[in-house]
Amino acid sequence: MIGHRPRRALVVVCTPVADSYTAARASAIIDGLTDTGVQVRVRDLYAEGFDPQFSAAERRDHLVAGTADDIVDHAEDLMWCDTLVLVYPTWWSAQPAMLKGWFDRVWACGVAWDLPPGANRLRPRLTNVRRIVAVTTHGSSKLVNALQGEAGKRTVTRSLRLMCHWRCRTSWWATYSMDQLDDDRRRVELDRLVRRTRRLARRRAANRPAG
Amino acid sequence: MTTAGLPAPNDDAAARVEPDPTALVVVAHPVPDSLTHAAATAAVEGLRAVGHRVRLLDLYAVDFPAAMTTEERQAYSSTSPIIDDLVAEHCALLGRARHLVFVYPTWWSGPPAILKGWLERVLVTGVAFELDPDTKRVKPALGHIERIVGISTYGSPRSYVAMINDNGRRILTRSLRMVCGWRTSTRWFGLYGVDTATADERAEFLTRVRSGMTRPRHRATMTPRPRT
Repeated sequence: MIGHRPRRALVVVCTPVADSYTAARASAIIDGLTDTGVQVRVRDLYAEGFDPQFSAAERRDHLVAGTADDIVDHAEDLMWCDTLVLVYPTWWSAQPAMLKGWFDRVWACGVAWDLPPGANRLRPRLTNVRRIVAVTTHGSSKLVNALQGEAGKRTVTRSLRLMCHWRCRTSWWATYSMDQLDDDRRRVELDRLVRRTRRLARRRAANRPAG
Repeated sequence: MTTAGLPAPNDDAAARVEPDPTALVVVAHPVPDSLTHAAATAAVEGLRAVGHRVRLLDLYAVDFPAAMTTEERQAYSSTSPIIDDLVAEHCALLGRARHLVFVYPTWWSGPPAILKGWLERVLVTGVAFELDPDTKRVKPALGHIERIVGISTYGSPRSYVAMINDNGRRILTRSLRMVCGWRTSTRWFGLYGVDTATADERAEFLTRVRSGMTRPRHRATMTPRPRT
């Protein structure tokens, strides 16, 4: 029996300023997903005071399955979702330290991967994740980012992607040259984001058993 | 305490604070007896051997807060973006150093959050770059940096790192390199597949780092190039 169930989306928001453009983009996405019947869980890393520092104790136990006690619920959310949406500004061509710390700590052994004894390649565990959407803003132009090698994009579409389902799709919803954009242009970008979110939400979580 | 001819032990090298360093070694690893820290010590030894005054910044030891705060983000576009004493101290060191060495383990193909946060919080307007008020274009301000060195350990084999892209290396040798001068050189030392590396391979890596730092052309000279 092949059935359908609504998408389950985990939206991870990383912005230090509550009224920033990134925050506006995040709430547009969350509203868009909720309106279309997608089950949404939101993790606002700055708002909940997430600790991005990977500790010495975590390093010691990094081959033991499970995360630190304070972030168990983050790991549960990650293993629950089928769509992961990351909303952040790009700084120094990659994710802000807060979000990088979320990767470092939450994408742990027993959550995102396993390392069989003697191997030096991780075995993916997040087979529940079928779609990763990165929503980001760049201060500099597309050209400058291309020259710099788009480190943040490749972290998402390759490094993280490899721990997910083998058919997991990635979407890159980026706005470049933010420093030069005026308010009108920002509104246009925001509308575009809303349209893309609706399109994403309309796509059923296909070809999976219901429940 | 140290016998002549022998390198200083790890803790001694870290504790020694030298005025006006010519080389800045930034280390990001939570465990002090890790291979990353051993590589940092090797780099410090190599730099000292060619006359550098070295300052070791152990980010975990000084408990450097990784995340940029809301206040810092709000001050970022202003004329005084530095509001933290520790960040101000590191900015001052960066203004005088001419060799930048980063030592870290690669996690999720990039630097640990604490090092990424160091880049975000220390390399701000007026320190790493100037923002043209009219065109909003970035102008490099780290023209005095002669060399950027990255030293990293990787859990994955080299072929795998090449496939998923070495994003930490790109951040340091491209994004950071872009705000330096035309003549700034970059150098990379990597130990791949570290989980399965033998003791010999680890020792060879440390030797490679130590000798790589002692090239004659990177000898510390007494007259720093003026800031451009």
